[in-house]
Amino acid sequence: MTGVPTGGGAGRDLDVMIARLLTFGTYVSIALLVAGYLAMLAGGISPYAPAPGLDPGAIVADILAGRAPGFLWLGLLAVIATPTARIVAAMVGFARMREWEMASVSVGILVVITLSVILARLVEA
Amino acid sequence: MEVLFLLAGGAAAGLFGSLLGLGGGILIVPLLTLGAGLPIREAVGVSLVCVIVTSGAAAGVYLERHTANLRLGMLLELFTATGALVGGLVAFLLPDRVLAGLFALLLGYVAFTMLKAARKPATVAATTPVASQQSAPEADTATGREAAIRRLSGPGYRVGRIRFGILGSVLAGVVSALLGIGGGIVKVPVMNLVMGVPLRVATATSNLMIGVTATASAVIYLLRGGINAYVAGPTAIGVFVGATVGSRIAGRVNVRVLRFLFVAVQVYVAFQMVLRALGLTS
Repeated sequence: MTGVPTGGGAGRDLDVMIARLLTFGTYVSIALLVAGYLAMLAGGISPYAPAPGLDPGAIVADILAGRAPGFLWLGLLAVIATPTARIVAAMVGFARMREWEMASVSVGILVVITLSVILARLVEA
Repeated sequence: MEVLFLLAGGAAAGLFGSLLGLGGGILIVPLLTLGAGLPIREAVGVSLVCVIVTSGAAAGVYLERHTANLRLGMLLELFTATGALVGGLVAFLLPDRVLAGLFALLLGYVAFTMLKAARKPATVAATTPVASQQSAPEADTATGREAAIRRLSGPGYRVGRIRFGILGSVLAGVVSALLGIGGGIVKVPVMNLVMGVPLRVATATSNLMIGVTATASAVIYLLRGGINAYVAGPTAIGVFVGATVGSRIAGRVNVRVLRFLFVAVQVYVAFQMVLRALGLTS
């Protein structure tokens, strides 16, 4: 069953805009992961070698030096950022359509994701 | 060679998952634990990344075709994400053996439902959703609530029993975060059989929700060092390629034969997971 989204033409536009955002985010993530994978092959890195943890400060330097961890971590961050960006886009779209209930739901989801970050850091500390 | 193993294994998981209508997670966790010797928690972290990738690719297509119900999906993912937040925190408190035992239970359940579906292939698709038969549920008489339900519904169906949907969503989120799966095995039946959403829309909407659900717990795994970049990279690429190929050849493959083969693999993997849960293997 293919359906017409509620919200009429604006609802359809929002569906398409979010679809393109998801597709774009996924392809960018995969491109970065492929670059990291090629750097692993070039450097003879085993996937079972001790992997460096996430160090946001080192990502740019690693990428400029062509090192695998930089590409891989940026790709993994892009993977995780894509659904979050989708929620932000939906929040803006619903607010423009004055669908305040759905805009509030979007804010609620963003709050839950933010809580995940805060709690993970608190537990780690 | 090890990098190629992860790439090929991920591609196989993505391909089979796509052909059988499952997320790749149910195959990736056994691949990484039994095949590559990773601790189960690390395998779950990698699997969550793969699940987000496949969700992004599939949900984009479903939304562009207007098959997924964005509003319903977002309402429910508020609760799947909450469940995933709880599950992600609990996962770090549970021993590996408990997680292996839970995964074995999950595999047993999925194998059982797949065998049932294989024996009665038309039953699920032909089921008329209970909630869609209700013309005016007693609890939905208030004007504001009625308007909200109309906005959540789609052409040809009316969403009902939202409270059950919310409960199912929280459960799906917890299971997803604990075991590294998308949670579609919980969400699709709840939406279809309980809430009255047509199977095709429920599957598409579940695919959309999986990305956000997995993100809520993947963030916890990421920040607590539960994601190995060297393993996650090649595996996610493989899953993406496999799922993309699977979606293109789905109409030309005899899924019935594939399903029986898959059930046999699941039973074997469940047995291995039980051994691990009992401490009889490393």
